Amino acid sequence: MGGSVLTGMLHDGLTRRRMIAGGGVAGLAMAAGGRRAFAASENVLKIGFVSPRTGALAGFGQTDGYVLELARKSLAKGLTIGGKTYEVVILDRDSQSDPSRASQLAKTLINSDQVDLMLPISAPETINPVADACEAAGVPCLSTVMPWEAWYYGRGAKPGQPSPFKWTYHFGFGVHEFLETYVSQWSLIPTNRKVGVLYPNDADGNAIRHNLAPLLAAKGFTIVDPGPYEDGTDDFSAQIAVFKRAHCEIFNSFPLPPDFAAFWRQATQQGYARHVKICQVAKTGLFPSDITSLGRLGYNIASAAYWHKAFPYTSSLTGIGGEALANGYENETGKMWTQQLGASLALLDAGVTALQTSSDPKNKAAVAHALSVLKTITIAGKVDFTDGPVPNVSPGPIIGTQWVKAPPGSRFKLAYPVTEHATDPNVPIGAKLIPYNA
Amino acid sequence: MMIWLNQIIQGVLLGGYYALIACGLSFMFSVMRIINLAHGSLAILAAFGLFVLASRLGLSPFLGLLIVLPAMAAVGWLLQRTVLERSLRGGLLVPILSTFGLSIVIDNLLFQQFGADTRSLAPYIGDLSYSSWAITDDIDIGQLAVLTLAAAIVLLGGLQLFLTRTSLGRAIRATAEDPDTVGLIGIDARRVNATAAAIAMVTVGIAGAFLAMRATFNPYSGGQQLVFAFEAAVIGGAGSLWGTLGGGIVLGVAQSIGAQIDPQGFLITGHVVFLAVLFARLYPSRFALQLPRLRRQPA
Repeated sequence: MGGSVLTGMLHDGLTRRRMIAGGGVAGLAMAAGGRRAFAASENVLKIGFVSPRTGALAGFGQTDGYVLELARKSLAKGLTIGGKTYEVVILDRDSQSDPSRASQLAKTLINSDQVDLMLPISAPETINPVADACEAAGVPCLSTVMPWEAWYYGRGAKPGQPSPFKWTYHFGFGVHEFLETYVSQWSLIPTNRKVGVLYPNDADGNAIRHNLAPLLAAKGFTIVDPGPYEDGTDDFSAQIAVFKRAHCEIFNSFPLPPDFAAFWRQATQQGYARHVKICQVAKTGLFPSDITSLGRLGYNIASAAYWHKAFPYTSSLTGIGGEALANGYENETGKMWTQQLGASLALLDAGVTALQTSSDPKNKAAVAHALSVLKTITIAGKVDFTDGPVPNVSPGPIIGTQWVKAPPGSRFKLAYPVTEHATDPNVPIGAKLIPYNA
Repeated sequence: MMIWLNQIIQGVLLGGYYALIACGLSFMFSVMRIINLAHGSLAILAAFGLFVLASRLGLSPFLGLLIVLPAMAAVGWLLQRTVLERSLRGGLLVPILSTFGLSIVIDNLLFQQFGADTRSLAPYIGDLSYSSWAITDDIDIGQLAVLTLAAAIVLLGGLQLFLTRTSLGRAIRATAEDPDTVGLIGIDARRVNATAAAIAMVTVGIAGAFLAMRATFNPYSGGQQLVFAFEAAVIGGAGSLWGTLGGGIVLGVAQSIGAQIDPQGFLITGHVVFLAVLFARLYPSRFALQLPRLRRQPA
């Protein structure tokens, strides 16, 4: 039963981190193995769910266990589609934050497990290789949580040309949403509108440098860019000197979390941080632990969220709302809620809706067609593929937020209120943005 | 001009940090002939130990070292007896494999226990991680960076003195040279090696503490730190402890000057200097400037 997985593991060698994770996968395969008898029959729907549960991006996958448990509970009685009841099996896999591992998992899910729908999530390292494998094999695939430009153009689509993708779909924020959010957020506090930007020389950093920075400049912000740096840089004195000289009152960065911690401590040491009125970070500062590890320096850092517990929507799959999801997670794990909870559940919401609205969920072309016309409300808001900037993409919100010190007596040290809602005005604003050095 | 001066000063301070994290690696290689690929993971292990003491018991990381360092010494002793000694019998390459395996085990056990959260010891040392002395308008010197450099000097200098001036130090060096012969003069080679491993792990524990105060860490951070430690040790001449301090500073200054020339120059300049020194060592006779050899010199 778990044989094919084990052979696969032996095939590529028991390399780094694979031993423990592999054991888990084999265990899951064996657990799923009992249901193989059904697999031959026509009434089992299989969903592949691939996310980074371990490795450098494990912060994204941390909440997936909880979300999957909710989804499985809701699906326990099966799904009735077109008068026929299907058993639904979610095969969740850990990409280990590694693109080649993600690609290999996708191939196994497609060829051995024969999934009917693939749902990869969180960052290009996992999503793009899985989407590519699905496109090649003709398996419907829906993803979220990465800038859609990096998903669409990063996989070979050309601006102005018809979409090359028939099987793969993506929803969520893009550069345009970042622009709207930043313009809205940065107008909340009077500044000299000089923005010091620290964008790394990686896929995200360069995409933002070329696509977002010119748009911000067009909106009247002066962009001070000391140039791309390499991920893993330990000392930022050169960049700090540039920001200090230009007196940038707004700071913006898309760094890896450890690089930002090093940068921001040095910026404080070297006297730049005390001039900053808005410190707006993306990619780091998504999760409470990124901010907690900065100690006092983490308070008042501005961020942007692709989901927030204040979102006024309910999950179409589980029927629960934002507050309930966040509270349920906090009660079960004792940890503060994260924005990933809603994003992972939204992906399952939208994926299951696509299966339900397809004429035949066992027919891959029918499911892909259902994705192409999907129009639904998930816990993270609207998903609508009939009205995107490019085919295969449904843009979604990224709302301005801020990490602030929680009021005394709170359960956690941090609070994370919504400070602006330009990309989804249905989300209520929770607090006024306060200057970093307030 | 001030900017370049600032870059050099910051580079020297960064070098002190590299030297500190390279110390245990260099010590293990020089006296035990072991390239310890679990070096970074063991440092992270110590960092987690300090983190648990700080977050659960409210113990300052500096006080926490009083508990963690003896624990690390015990880890070193056990490691030598159970893993390193056996693998060294299989030849010079086997310890590389076994320590690599060990690093995977440590990383994943830490992940199982602590999850993926990013952590840092900085919140537990007040404002030390970001306070500084302003020298001029353009130059600020971080207090933690100065403390790190001082710790590196004391640790590396202390070890150097220990190896040259004490009888245990001499016994450690002699055992590294020829474990069979030292047996003839009444030295228990196994015991001496286990002691050396314990000392090495104490230095790794100190490295972990400074790493965790300066930056952030998670269970998988060990590998990233290994690269710079390795480069500092090689530039300084693997095996020479004072050389490691010099190597760290050369690496740090090269990186920060590289970053001033071009922001992308930080890592590449460091790697280029590392390779240049390595090649210069491999062909020593061709260079008028005779650098210390790669082979171990008397410590």
